[in-house]
Amino acid sequence: MTRWASARVLGLRVRLLLTFALLGVTTTAAVASGSYVQARTVILQQAQDAAVMSLTDQLTKVYPIVQLPPTQADLDLLAQRLSDRQGFAVVVYRDMRSSGGAEIADPLTPELRREVGDGRIAWQRIARDGQPWLLIGTQLTLEVSDGTSRPSGLEVYSVRNLVPEQQSIDRLATRAWQTGGLSLILAVLLALLAARGVLRPVRDLGRAARRLGEGDLSTRLTVRGADELADVARTFNDTAGTLERQVGELRRMESDARRFVADVSHELRTPLAAMTAVTDVLDEEAEHLPGDAGRAARLVSRETQNLTQLVNDLIEVSRFDSGTARLALDDVDVAAAVTATLRIRGWLDRVRAELPPGVVARLDPRRLDVIVANLVGNAFRHGAEPVSVRLRADADWVTIEVADQGPGLDPAVLPQVFDRFYKADTARTRSEGSGLGLAISWENARLHHHGDRRGSLVAGNAPGGGAVFTLRLPRDPADAGGAR
Amino acid sequence: MTRRALLAGGVLLTLLATGGCGVRPSEVITGRPAVSGPSRGVGLYLLAEGELVLVLRPASADASPANALALLAAGPDENERKQGLTSEVPAGLDPVTLTSGANRSDDLTVRTTAAARSLSSRAADQIICTVADAAAQSGLAENSTAVTIVGSDGARPPRPCPLS
Repeated sequence: MTRWASARVLGLRVRLLLTFALLGVTTTAAVASGSYVQARTVILQQAQDAAVMSLTDQLTKVYPIVQLPPTQADLDLLAQRLSDRQGFAVVVYRDMRSSGGAEIADPLTPELRREVGDGRIAWQRIARDGQPWLLIGTQLTLEVSDGTSRPSGLEVYSVRNLVPEQQSIDRLATRAWQTGGLSLILAVLLALLAARGVLRPVRDLGRAARRLGEGDLSTRLTVRGADELADVARTFNDTAGTLERQVGELRRMESDARRFVADVSHELRTPLAAMTAVTDVLDEEAEHLPGDAGRAARLVSRETQNLTQLVNDLIEVSRFDSGTARLALDDVDVAAAVTATLRIRGWLDRVRAELPPGVVARLDPRRLDVIVANLVGNAFRHGAEPVSVRLRADADWVTIEVADQGPGLDPAVLPQVFDRFYKADTARTRSEGSGLGLAISWENARLHHHGDRRGSLVAGNAPGGGAVFTLRLPRDPADAGGAR
Repeated sequence: MTRRALLAGGVLLTLLATGGCGVRPSEVITGRPAVSGPSRGVGLYLLAEGELVLVLRPASADASPANALALLAAGPDENERKQGLTSEVPAGLDPVTLTSGANRSDDLTVRTTAAARSLSSRAADQIICTVADAAAQSGLAENSTAVTIVGSDGARPPRPCPLS
């Protein structure tokens, strides 16, 4: 989850979130600003209409007018009568103007005076000193008996403060902003929900695909619903099923082949034991046999030994393949073990051994013996003397190097030297070895492991010529483990 | 996605720009005709900077057209003069006689002993409007009736008050 969120800046989740938020904000802004503008218009219109009505009502009480032109006192009195809590009045007659009551300086605009002079009631909103004001102006005309009227020259202006209306409108605006914020939150919540609905199957799919890639072929997805994502999940399941069946088939065939080799090897063992017994007798008698018969007896004896070796190696290999090979671990003095290996095979005098004493490691002594014997034997057979065996050890690893002074290994064959039945010298169709020795040694080295560290066998060439086989086995003096 | 976002932003900005916030100043809005009401007193027309201006004298006086013309011929009083009102009607206009027709729409005729043709056109308008107003108030004629002024030197062509 966190991986997804952090890894994809513009992932599906973010895009969905942005889209929803944008949609929510746009819709709310459109609706809220529309209703805000309308409500404002209504509020202002009501206030203006009410003010105009109230002014005309008050003005009817001014009549009848008895004297023109008025004196300054008349104007002031009239203005005072028309002023109330909500505003004040300015009365104008030609160049005269009522004095007093003016909360703001010179509120009348020329365009308003022009309209009023034309004989109609007119009003206008203006801003003075940061406050909104409403100006309403009218002339006072005089009725003549037959319904027409004459302008008297008197103009009355009512100036009202619109701050209460402004406050109502501001409250509206605040509410609109709150609604917008709320809808944004709602949109984000919805987006998260939608993203979860879409992303969960995608995430499941990704996780399943990763598991499949890591080799868990039994991975399946739960198919939910009937949408496109469900189709993808179904396809994934079908693919995984086919893959599992085919891989299972391949594995079965491979294990059949391996079991066949193992079975054949085991079946060969019994007759071989009998044959070995016979050839032992033949060996003893060979010297007394004349000419060809003696040579034939010796040949049969040697080939029987080779066959026995091959069958034993095959059995060993089939144990590795079937995974039944087990380490028999013991605390081993490595120098002593290597020396014993050399001594048993009578190589102690021919090998230049550098074996510092006191290196104790937890190993399988039989497998160590097999590896060292194979490496040293190979050095004698394919390389040239002197052959050296060198033991080194640190806290983590035991390293044994087997080197000879021969021509070394062709770099082209280096990758294949541990392959089964691989013959470096193709001219030699028959050799003393079974062709499985290095493969078995390699498997034996790999069998030793400790934690993440695994034993290894590496082939290479020394700078001065000659092949060098390096065996490294993991070591942990503190821990007695290392077994499989 | 970006184009959509830009579009939405544009719409939003336009809305905000046209809507604005709070109470905005407005143009002048006009409504009904101006407030109108009765007057009491004698209406005379004087001149202020060449324009006809209505003046109301207290109602104690007789509101007949002849009396109104007499008051007009007497000229502006002290208060009116102080406010810059003048008259071009000569003081020798008085006395006058007024004849009205049988109907309210018939012409009015003002007869005077003074010269009529030599009156300035503004003085004639003063006389015509004052007479028409007074006649309308007393129910003799309509406000828009044409008035003929006949003097010692002949008559002026009939003419209605230019204000109505």
